[in-house]
Amino acid sequence: MNPQTHVRYEAALKVTGQARYEGEVMPPGMLHAALVESPVACGEVLSVDAARAETVPGFATIVTRADSESLRPSGATALIREKAIHFHGQPVALVAASTGSQAREAARAVHVATRVQPAVTHLDQAAGAAFAPAAVGRFPAASRRGDPSRALSEAELIVRNRYTTDVNNHHPMEPHAVVCWWEDHRAVVHTSTQAVFATRASIAHAFDMPAGDIRVLSRFLGGGFGCKGQLWWPWMFWAMLASRKAGRPVRLELSRAQMFTLVGRRQATTQDLSLGFVDGRLTAIEHDVVAQTSTHADFSDSTAVYTRLLYACPNVSTAHKLVRTNEPHPVPMRAPGTAPGTFALESAMDEAAGQLGIDPLELRMRNFAAHDQESGRPWSSNRLLECYRVGAERFGWARRHERAKSKVGRWTVGFGMATTLYPAIRQACKARVRLSLDGSLVVQCGTQDMGSGTYTALGQIAADALGIPMAKVTVELGDTWLPDGPFSGGSQVTASIFPAVEAATSKLRAMLANLAVGDPGAPLGGRRPQEIEFRDEMVRGRSSNVAERLVDLLARGPADGLAAEGECAATDHQALAATGMGYGAIFVEIGVDAELGEIRVRRVCGTFAAGRILNPLLARSQFIGGLIGGIGMALHEQTVTDRATGCILGKSFTDYLIPVHADMPEFDIAMIEEDDPHLPGGVKGIGMLGTAGIQAGIANALHDAIGRRVRHLPIRIEDCLASAY
Amino acid sequence: MNPDTTALPLADEKHLPMPRIALSMTINGARYDIETASTATLLDVIRDQLGLTGTKKGCDMGGCGACTVLVEGRRIASCLALAASFSDAVLTTIEGIGTADRLHPLQAAFIRHDALQCGYCTPGQILSGIALLSENPRSFEEIREGMSGNLCRCGAYPGIVAAIAEVAGL
Amino acid sequence: MSGPSFRYIRAARLDDALSQGARQGATYLAGGADLLPLWKAGLAAPTEVIDISRLPLSQVSYAGDALAVGALARLSDVSAHPVVKRHHPMIAEAILASASGQVRNLATIGGNLLQRTRCTYFRTDGLACNKRDPGSGCGARRGESRHAALFGGSVGCVATHASDLAVALAALDAEISCRGLTGERRLALQDLYPLPGATTAPDTSLADGEMITAVHIDGAARFAAQSTYLKVRDRASFEFAVVSVAAALRIERGVIAEARLAAGGVAPLPWRLGRSEAALIGRAPTGEAFALAGELAVEGATPLAGNAFKVPLLHNAVIRALQTVGEGS
Repeated sequence: MNPQTHVRYEAALKVTGQARYEGEVMPPGMLHAALVESPVACGEVLSVDAARAETVPGFATIVTRADSESLRPSGATALIREKAIHFHGQPVALVAASTGSQAREAARAVHVATRVQPAVTHLDQAAGAAFAPAAVGRFPAASRRGDPSRALSEAELIVRNRYTTDVNNHHPMEPHAVVCWWEDHRAVVHTSTQAVFATRASIAHAFDMPAGDIRVLSRFLGGGFGCKGQLWWPWMFWAMLASRKAGRPVRLELSRAQMFTLVGRRQATTQDLSLGFVDGRLTAIEHDVVAQTSTHADFSDSTAVYTRLLYACPNVSTAHKLVRTNEPHPVPMRAPGTAPGTFALESAMDEAAGQLGIDPLELRMRNFAAHDQESGRPWSSNRLLECYRVGAERFGWARRHERAKSKVGRWTVGFGMATTLYPAIRQACKARVRLSLDGSLVVQCGTQDMGSGTYTALGQIAADALGIPMAKVTVELGDTWLPDGPFSGGSQVTASIFPAVEAATSKLRAMLANLAVGDPGAPLGGRRPQEIEFRDEMVRGRSSNVAERLVDLLARGPADGLAAEGECAATDHQALAATGMGYGAIFVEIGVDAELGEIRVRRVCGTFAAGRILNPLLARSQFIGGLIGGIGMALHEQTVTDRATGCILGKSFTDYLIPVHADMPEFDIAMIEEDDPHLPGGVKGIGMLGTAGIQAGIANALHDAIGRRVRHLPIRIEDCLASAY
Repeated sequence: MNPDTTALPLADEKHLPMPRIALSMTINGARYDIETASTATLLDVIRDQLGLTGTKKGCDMGGCGACTVLVEGRRIASCLALAASFSDAVLTTIEGIGTADRLHPLQAAFIRHDALQCGYCTPGQILSGIALLSENPRSFEEIREGMSGNLCRCGAYPGIVAAIAEVAGL
Repeated sequence: MSGPSFRYIRAARLDDALSQGARQGATYLAGGADLLPLWKAGLAAPTEVIDISRLPLSQVSYAGDALAVGALARLSDVSAHPVVKRHHPMIAEAILASASGQVRNLATIGGNLLQRTRCTYFRTDGLACNKRDPGSGCGARRGESRHAALFGGSVGCVATHASDLAVALAALDAEISCRGLTGERRLALQDLYPLPGATTAPDTSLADGEMITAVHIDGAARFAAQSTYLKVRDRASFEFAVVSVAAALRIERGVIAEARLAAGGVAPLPWRLGRSEAALIGRAPTGEAFALAGELAVEGATPLAGNAFKVPLLHNAVIRALQTVGEGS
């Protein structure tokens, strides 16, 4: 199967405004909800007085901690069951009213009495109380191979530095929303979630009801990037409780300001990294990470995990620690772990290259890991060296020395490069395909599409397997009434749905083949089913020109067409024979106007080896989108907290800057095809790859341009400003 | 204008009713007579009251462009526009631009260039792009600057600019 | 989002508006680009909103090198106006560097000059801010001060004025006409903006119900060929200035005869750089003269922890703006 450039399946709905996002569902009699927020960052709720709120016109009901007592205790309900206030802006009540403005007016009229306690509002404040988390994702929090401290003491060159990254927020363009109602004991929940099945399970647990009585829908999702997951559940539960109390549908949608506090963040990191070299080869790495978590739960990105395996090095130790602060809880965000982790590692490699007098690209190629040295396993496939070579060629890396410090108008130009990587993972998945008598195909899977192209991928995999044009395919997803599908995140949806859809379509192919050969009077009658192939809405004999139209074939089958289900089981990634990783080489040209401190990315070449690319058009969009997210993290994005109060400052797009059109560089994307025999369909994830690496690439290019090494993100005017004055 | 009526009974006489006003507007060629809260924005009216949900609410503070609509052909952030102030205005929303089987050239170009991912900013990008095209942008740089009021978090910017440039004949 | 309810009144005539606007709790609505976000965030809670957007105050007129711009003219119309582009390109530049296309189509000239500070302590309900809540203190002074003022601040307030347009206008010695119940007055734009006190920080010197009706620039077209508006920011567009400089020169026989310099992002008002201007007069437009202007521009700056970088930045921006203008000579 060759890569196919299909346009985005649902694009026409989106460009005409007809795609209906779940917060836009408007059942009759719907109430609107608003949250009452804590004005302090740490303490306890003493009382919630709704007397004044109840007099606001349109007031319908209020839900508080007292109502949450009907919910079963769990991590997902703790924040709404307990009195404790963990962060500034934590909701303490939900009010529902006839209109949104009435709900907000009523929410403002709720009087909350609190007992205030001193808050920890910054990582530094509690650094002494850092502790090791139980794990970082599916990896151990700490690792050690060889003897890194001894190897460092024997190294010819040691590069030892501290790198820091700031808090980021995900900010999908669609703020979280839920529209929910009850039909007797059954719940219908339209909500912007990256995980309809996990959401259903959370409701089933909290409300102590069978999952079968709950329908969760997320058919169009206005982005997610990691924040449309579990941190949303408590507030969604409150909307459901309000709906039950009022006996009417309830809609809760978050404001942009609440997107800073209620749905997670990328945690700030402080990373101490030491690299030791002998003869230009890495002999030791120590990578210690301290990161922020909330006072109500533990979360650690896998920041140093990839330091364990990116380069060949016999002596490596890594460790993650957490510090609790009275700030919102962190969750994974675009390239979790790899984005902050590669910023440190790939900046340090650049610093080492400079001190060793070796080209940064050459240093990386020299230290390429031919297998996964942490687990001892081979790579399932790894064409990183090819990425380096192709990327360098396309970018013109060899012109680095002649171009460096050259000026284009007011811009001093610099070149930088860095590596990106992300594990190839997959989850359990089921899919269903149904072929109707008219030859049209319906593909169903309960997973959701947060913009990454899942509609298209599902349709395309099935269409290609059955030789049917995309125009005849209907894809249904984002609904717990459909077969169980994976959550959207971790760049693993396509890899997960692929084997499930393949399994379903191969069953369908077998049915069709048997039908084709089973009727002696039919064109392919009497042949062996294995000889049948599917192309252009026909079934054909593999070795002859004999063919039969699919619709003619279907007419001989059951009156309601043919259907099949496929499934792929969960994967124990630790038990696999090979480590699956996607890789990329990012080359960056920046311009810096050091007199004014302004820095702009001018050109980016991203070369990626990420298994088989199903749809180059959509893959390119994914890679570019990731790179733009990485530019934001590198140069713009910073969630600022007032240390005195723990309140986040500037909760708006005016203050939290993300890249705009005018910031866009020229992009050159190259995809190095891989034939990976270890992975089903040879599919690796691609979504996260673009978002990591580029941060270090930019920092390295800045150093190339003006000799300034910046070891924190974001890099801003004050970091680039010539201090000559 | 009747600022002192309310659709809902008062729970407490001490609290003022929420003033409502009557407006008429032409949206996508159709005339609407609307009674709404005096505080409603154009976005509130279009999206929540009339159910024209193609106009998106991204930030509600004028900072993202997802709510862009055209007033007499000019783009505005409908979340910053008090509806009352736009009585008798002639508006165009994404629903008035084209349909799946009769796409506007810019909509078709968006699909070809894959100028969207999650799609939430897309209607605003398209309306903003159409308004910008009427200002005759002369370069990619002018398009980028002119479109900078429309944020996209997925990062579809290069496709969006390519689509606008194609329709502009650049 | 939304704030507390209010009555909406569309003013039929200017005189009606003035009496309606003088009532307690009333506020004027022109474009709404600043009022609506303030109201939604709970930072403005008018009981009456007086819509003045349809009053006939949006003309742009030009006669005998006197430009008059009605306060209700939309930013986009002013920046696209042929007279403005030809005689006062710096104004068009400053406007086009502001906000976004869809905001400039709403925002008005008067509203832009009256927009409230972007200080995040002011913009976050509940935090200490003397401007929003007199006597509550200033959170920014001891907190996050990246955007704080270098000049003109007080112990009670270090907020900066956010308008790009005001900086360009200040450099051109603009005046504004104001109307209130007691009549009309005309004042220098600078005089619209009082400096903050120890516990209070009013935005303007306007009386209750008083509104700006027009902006005037007299006799400044001579700078058209040699002026610029330089805006320094973290991203390439759609962001308030970190620092900005409006610069204009008139050069006669190789010598600077007149100089105009104003800076944005550094003070509670558009900050005229009078000493730099004075030092430039009579000098040749050379790097040496510009460097002197840069040095004088930052004299007296009182930076805080987070905004010290704006001192060298302003210095360099003044020099860069003068170089850009001087290139034309």
